[in-house]
Amino acid sequence: MVDLTTRIGPLRFKNPITVASGTFGVKDEYADYVDYRKLGAVIAKTITLHPRKGNPMPRICETPAGMLNAIGLQNKGLRDFVEDKIPYFRKRKIPLIVNIAGESTKEFGILAKELDRYKKSIAALELNLSCPNIEAGGVRAIREGRLITKTIEAVRKETQLFIFAKLSPELGDVLETAKEAIRAGADGLSLINTIRGMAIHIESRKPRLAVGTGGLSGPAIRPIALRYVYEIKQALPRVSVIASGGITTWQDAVEFLIAGADLLAIGTANFVNPRATLDILEGLKEYCLKHHIKRIGEIRGSLVTHRRS
Amino acid sequence: MYDETVTILDNRKVNAEYYKLSFRSKRLAKNVLPGQFLQMKIEEGYDPFLRRPFSYYRTVGDRVEILYEILGMGTKLLTEKGKGGTLKVLGPLGRGFSRHVERKKRILVGGGVGVPPLVFLAERYDCYQFLIGTKSRKEILPSSEIKKFAKTVRYTTEDGSFGKKGLVTNLLEDLLKKEKGNPQDYFIQTCGPNRMMERVMEIADHHGIEGEASWDETMACGVGVCLGCMVLTRKGWTASCKEGPVFRFDEMEKGH
Repeated sequence: MVDLTTRIGPLRFKNPITVASGTFGVKDEYADYVDYRKLGAVIAKTITLHPRKGNPMPRICETPAGMLNAIGLQNKGLRDFVEDKIPYFRKRKIPLIVNIAGESTKEFGILAKELDRYKKSIAALELNLSCPNIEAGGVRAIREGRLITKTIEAVRKETQLFIFAKLSPELGDVLETAKEAIRAGADGLSLINTIRGMAIHIESRKPRLAVGTGGLSGPAIRPIALRYVYEIKQALPRVSVIASGGITTWQDAVEFLIAGADLLAIGTANFVNPRATLDILEGLKEYCLKHHIKRIGEIRGSLVTHRRS
Repeated sequence: MYDETVTILDNRKVNAEYYKLSFRSKRLAKNVLPGQFLQMKIEEGYDPFLRRPFSYYRTVGDRVEILYEILGMGTKLLTEKGKGGTLKVLGPLGRGFSRHVERKKRILVGGGVGVPPLVFLAERYDCYQFLIGTKSRKEILPSSEIKKFAKTVRYTTEDGSFGKKGLVTNLLEDLLKKEKGNPQDYFIQTCGPNRMMERVMEIADHHGIEGEASWDETMACGVGVCLGCMVLTRKGWTASCKEGPVFRFDEMEKGH
């Protein structure tokens, strides 16, 4: 037997496997394929204060080893989430991490305040500070307005819930941003969100996405994500990190654990294999057994450096 | 929904443009409805990374048939797979066409590669008129593929190389002008390019005839999660993979 229990501050997860926001729905979308109770946690698709229609079509496009998306945070808003979605997870005792985005720091604060009322049903909040596909509250607005501190402070003021700040290189220097997020009151980090990219249809000469650019996800960004997780854990070893960025196989998951990741969020891989989370979990257990690892913590941050000759 | 690895029985060209793929799967064959689709992982590996959606063309016993054309890298790779090769398939997915249209006369309007799911309907259930439009004779299905309902089929080609020259929607207009029955005696089911289906809906609306159209957009997940394949219905942006791909005409937002 392998003990996969993962502790993050006051939080305890039965294993490190979770899902990246936006790739697993908001409720039971994958329940036909996955027993959610087997996952460490579920991170729901971003919730905004008011419903959002999302971007015009086309919103997605496949690219080498990944895809671009510009969904634009289509969701039914906070009220529907607390009335219809939270009870689903509460009844089944599935640890739920709620991902939120505000169009302003004030909205982030309101979302935190409202969700704090359901704190017994929520494991943690994840702040989407790095959505590439919206204007107000999107990654560009947060970078240009230097809103990281203000946003996190607005949330921190309203809730004692554990806060993960989801960052991407689009915000600027990731280590500096990470330090700023922690100083402002974030408890942990999510690394990384999608990276903005583009594809063009050469016959029509139009961008393949209606809004021009979108977020790149999938194995294409995995080495970039791995590097950030490693560098941030080296610099801030006490800060917990949810790693995401192209994790597709159990081997990828082990790589991120060795780099120091605390939770592993499976994202685009769910679209290809609805059982990706459970397949990865199985593979991870087998790896541990094969290497006589009794507790998952033994792998975490266990990178071996090359000997210099 | 079933997620299976299947073995290819046959994969060959049936005309200048289309290929027919068959594999055996008891569960996928037994539980499918016309207009539903499956998500296929053509190659293991990361490029292409996503699955490809294909509508069902026909099931015979536990054999499933798919008719496809080369649209990009995924379908190109699929043509290179032969008997004995394996594929990962997830299905059946989505909402299909109505199988039974009460006592109405079923009019099918298919354009290009939108024809296969309608063949499934015509062959398995019933069909009054099957109007097929293609660019040229290159896409015309061999007569052996349509023999069960050959009498109902009328062709148009855009270049006039087969059947009547012009658009299939002109054929629909001509047909409805000649028909003497009441609008409620007919039911139109259509699948093809968006512009064609929009025109079919306009014509149907003009005549007061109800029907269904299969709308799809580029998909990633195929199960209603990624929100990439949205179509505009009266409820707003709706996932075509989950709520569709088949929608009733009156469910669609005008001028979507």
